[in-house]
Amino acid sequence: MSFKRLDSEDFTFGAALTSAPVWSNFSSSLLSFNKSPIQQVSDSGQYYIDVYNNDPASSPNAKIQFAITYGDVDGSGSLWYNPLNPGSSPTRTVYGQFVNLLLGEDEGASFNFGLNGPQSFFALTINRTHYKQALLPGSLQIRGLAPGGAYITDNSRVTSVVDYTPAGRRFTLGSGSFGDGVMPAGSVNGVHGYLYPDIGIIILNPLAFDPTILNDPINPVWLRDSNINSNNPDRLRQKLTQFSLQNEETITSNYIFCRARNAEFGYSTNPSFTFSFFSSSLNDFIQTPSTYITSVGLYNNNNELLAVAKLSKPLKKDFTSEALIRVKLDF
Amino acid sequence: MGYLNNSIVTVDAILTRKGRELLARNDGSFRITQFALADDEIDYTMWDPDNPLGSAYYGQAIDNMPLLEAFPDETQAMKYLLTTLPRGTSKLPIIDVGYQVISLYQGASIAITPQTLNYLGGTQTFESSGYVATIGDVRLMSNFNGVGINTAQATSLNSTATLGASVSKTVVGTTINMTATTVNVLFPTGVDQLTTSLIIVGRDSGARVVIPVQLNKNTNC
Repeated sequence: MSFKRLDSEDFTFGAALTSAPVWSNFSSSLLSFNKSPIQQVSDSGQYYIDVYNNDPASSPNAKIQFAITYGDVDGSGSLWYNPLNPGSSPTRTVYGQFVNLLLGEDEGASFNFGLNGPQSFFALTINRTHYKQALLPGSLQIRGLAPGGAYITDNSRVTSVVDYTPAGRRFTLGSGSFGDGVMPAGSVNGVHGYLYPDIGIIILNPLAFDPTILNDPINPVWLRDSNINSNNPDRLRQKLTQFSLQNEETITSNYIFCRARNAEFGYSTNPSFTFSFFSSSLNDFIQTPSTYITSVGLYNNNNELLAVAKLSKPLKKDFTSEALIRVKLDF
Repeated sequence: MGYLNNSIVTVDAILTRKGRELLARNDGSFRITQFALADDEIDYTMWDPDNPLGSAYYGQAIDNMPLLEAFPDETQAMKYLLTTLPRGTSKLPIIDVGYQVISLYQGASIAITPQTLNYLGGTQTFESSGYVATIGDVRLMSNFNGVGINTAQATSLNSTATLGASVSKTVVGTTINMTATTVNVLFPTGVDQLTTSLIIVGRDSGARVVIPVQLNKNTNC
């Protein structure tokens, strides 16, 4: 017999959380924020702007890392679709889209960040190819927007309560580093925003930005003019100086324990084994045959080979030894 | 006092091409129920019973040899299975199909009835559980099935169709029926013969044989 049945207790399952940098080339921080002018003037450019790690016009290695969009409850910051329908514009569409996505069925829900001021937000949506399952809370750091050159980060390491929303987990953004974000005492403009790690979205509150970039007389980061395309996403892109983020993935593994008892697998169909077996100079092979395990094959009932594992070096097996091999199969 | 070695060997498995196919099929056929061990890459002629350092060093040339990573091609992995036989067995089972090479013209059929020699002390030449036959490229056969084993699993396996791609097909039986395809487009321009391999493994003994299969184009068609 060459095939040995596995019992139910030979199977066990395990899950391990893995993390890795989000950005291309496993960069832990994104320091260059480039746009494609072609994309910006296209139809999609009315709604969002793609941010590249390199200049797509000159670098073949430029890849989209994330997108910036802007939503406004009044439709400000973009041209109306129709002059006869004031306020209906791409930024109003984006606002409704994110209300639907992040706030769900809560009637009248709005992004106000704890304020009664203008309901508008910036959203950073991480490119799907850069995270397999979710963003890793505690790994977020954005520089260039918070007052005093501080990092914007989430509060996953300082909060004991995780908000569960229609869009999954939600962490509040504040000033700090690597997950200890809190809003400075005396802050009157609400929190910096929210991190939705399960869907790869970061919402930013423009009112909480550094006043010097908010009120920059030459190039302010946020304009709410009515029926004017303010290019707010591109304005935000120009203010970013550093963006660190990691993803997380839970890898589920099957562990299969393959046990070779002392009296099992003592002979081989290997041609060289056969040769040695019948060689007169190796007669001890008949009395005390030894085999070497190099491969483990996992089969179904039909003897079809479903998975195979190789050992790093041969494992000797004879009638006086037993072998226990744990095979890990990831999905 | 030293520590006893209580470690177990942990290895990472990869899915074979067949495993991926069955996983995608999502019909329950991807269900691991048994395992086998193999000693591919081992050259037992390196076993040296004359080693001057003694019996602990007989396998010195084998013990620490590096091994290649696993191949995802199920016809290239697990070639030489380890098998369980009574201690003191002096003859190893081998499979005889009566052919060194199977050469078929398009549309031709052949039935192969493997025998296992040296099995169970030579008292039996057919294995009661039958034989597993795998054709390397299923496109070369319009019919490839096994008969003689009437379990539900074998019947299901023998009736499964795999279309289109160059993948293997496995069947179970005591007799393997093969009919060469009549499809001409498989032959590239200027090529009149295609080859693949037929692997037959005894389900009880683990003995294995690989036979080249040649498909010859009917040039008068």
